[in-house]
Amino acid sequence: MRKSRPSRENMDSSPEPAAAVVELAGVHVVFGRLCALDIECLELRAAERVFVLGRSGSGKTTLSRLIKGRLRPSTGRVRVLGEDPMAPQSASPRGFRRRVSMIDQEFHLVPRLTVADNVLAGCLGRVSSARSFFGWYPMAELMKAEAILREVELEGLVDRRVESLSGGQRQRAAIARALMQEAEVILADEPVSALDPELAEDALQLLVDCVRRRGVTLVVNLHQPALARRFASRIIGLSQGKIVYDGPPEGFTREAADFLYAGPDRPGRVVPIGQPGQAKLEGA
Amino acid sequence: MTTLRGIWGRRTLIGTALGGGLAGLIAYSLVRSEFSLAALARSGPRFAEFFSRLIPPNWSVTGLVVESTVETLMIAFAGTALAVILSLPLGLLAASNVVPGWLAHSVKWGLGLIRSVPLIVVALVFVTAVGLGPLPGMLAIAFHSIGMLAKFYAEEFETADAGILDAVGGTGATWLQTIRFGLFPQCVPQVVAFTVYRFEMNFRDAAILGLVGAGGIGYYIQLYVRGFQYEKVAVLLLVIVLVVTLLDQLTFWVRRWVR
Repeated sequence: MRKSRPSRENMDSSPEPAAAVVELAGVHVVFGRLCALDIECLELRAAERVFVLGRSGSGKTTLSRLIKGRLRPSTGRVRVLGEDPMAPQSASPRGFRRRVSMIDQEFHLVPRLTVADNVLAGCLGRVSSARSFFGWYPMAELMKAEAILREVELEGLVDRRVESLSGGQRQRAAIARALMQEAEVILADEPVSALDPELAEDALQLLVDCVRRRGVTLVVNLHQPALARRFASRIIGLSQGKIVYDGPPEGFTREAADFLYAGPDRPGRVVPIGQPGQAKLEGA
Repeated sequence: MTTLRGIWGRRTLIGTALGGGLAGLIAYSLVRSEFSLAALARSGPRFAEFFSRLIPPNWSVTGLVVESTVETLMIAFAGTALAVILSLPLGLLAASNVVPGWLAHSVKWGLGLIRSVPLIVVALVFVTAVGLGPLPGMLAIAFHSIGMLAKFYAEEFETADAGILDAVGGTGATWLQTIRFGLFPQCVPQVVAFTVYRFEMNFRDAAILGLVGAGGIGYYIQLYVRGFQYEKVAVLLLVIVLVVTLLDQLTFWVRRWVR
């Protein structure tokens, strides 16, 4: 652990801004005639817990796919951890892919395999093809997997096939696989859509706790404003591909939520304040 | 007319036309095969006479028959194993979700060619190439099976959930790891089921290959039949039936275990 030394910078009233982990500049994503995403400027910082709210089709999933490197913007620049996610320069592409982990809405675990198999798949980015082919994972990885399974409270279900698990259990297995990757950015696309409200809250609490412990950046797409207000450190509201809210959860009022989920002809506009990318909802 | 009646009427018409066409085709094929109920009716006594010649079975050849049946089984097993080893990568090359479409189509077309050559012809070619004995039989079985296995594997690979492949690949896995941990696990039950089914068929095929000198029990079948030694043929038939029954049960267990 690094010792923090008192210095003149640390004693300033304004804290040093954390490094930018995700940067979007002038990004348009167009599918045919539909503009799915239109973001002038967006910066996500390290250790932020960003919750992206918006109706279906507002661009939340498109944004996640951009960050993960599954999609190329039609115009504009995307930088994740300093690299272009679709063409990472520095390390091998596999090294970069490992640093951003994505939990899909459908989880996409392998149903026939056990929880253990699925979670261990998270370390494939670190283990050579030859060793993993025969299941000869290093002991260190096995111990990591055990620890993570304890963390998500699945240690009793290690040997169970994923297809026999409940929705909540699968959710935790998907989280465990993402944690196993030891990524610096964790994306979750509507992780709690299939869960009842109580389970949804538990699952998000678990995810946020795990993320806090690791100090990594979290980006969650969500439908439920209440959950976002509770767990986020920053809320981004998307409507028809544009950012209409970007700020702290306290500022995301009932009116803002209503506007977000109202029809497209509802009046309102985005007003930039302070730093570029910081916008506040005005005039609903 | 988009009412229920209109749609239903059209469907019934099409169904009846197809059914009629099929019936016509069946009738035509029976005529071309010179199907004759009269011939069947006359055949009763001849069947009876043939079966009477099988009894009593000549157990003196049991040892010989068992040994050659084991050889047949081994030819089938080795041939199937070799086919599986080659069909897995070929199946990947023929799967349009793994390789580019043009490559997948070319490979599938090549597999179709392999499949179209009759097994006996393949066996004859291998006999002239490597000589008599079990080896050409095993190679012929392998070659012939690849055409079916690789195609089936490819079709199974293509049904795999692409989202799961994306998810496994997204952890930083290499292409090989994604195939091993994302694709194969989804496809194992069907791949295994079809492989053991193919193995059963290969045993029956291998039994015939001896007719062209490619090893196994086929040699004795044609030897005894041509020599009119039907009591020995009886022993052959009994052993083969026993083995096929055992194989059937075995493959049933394997399929259940891999579910």
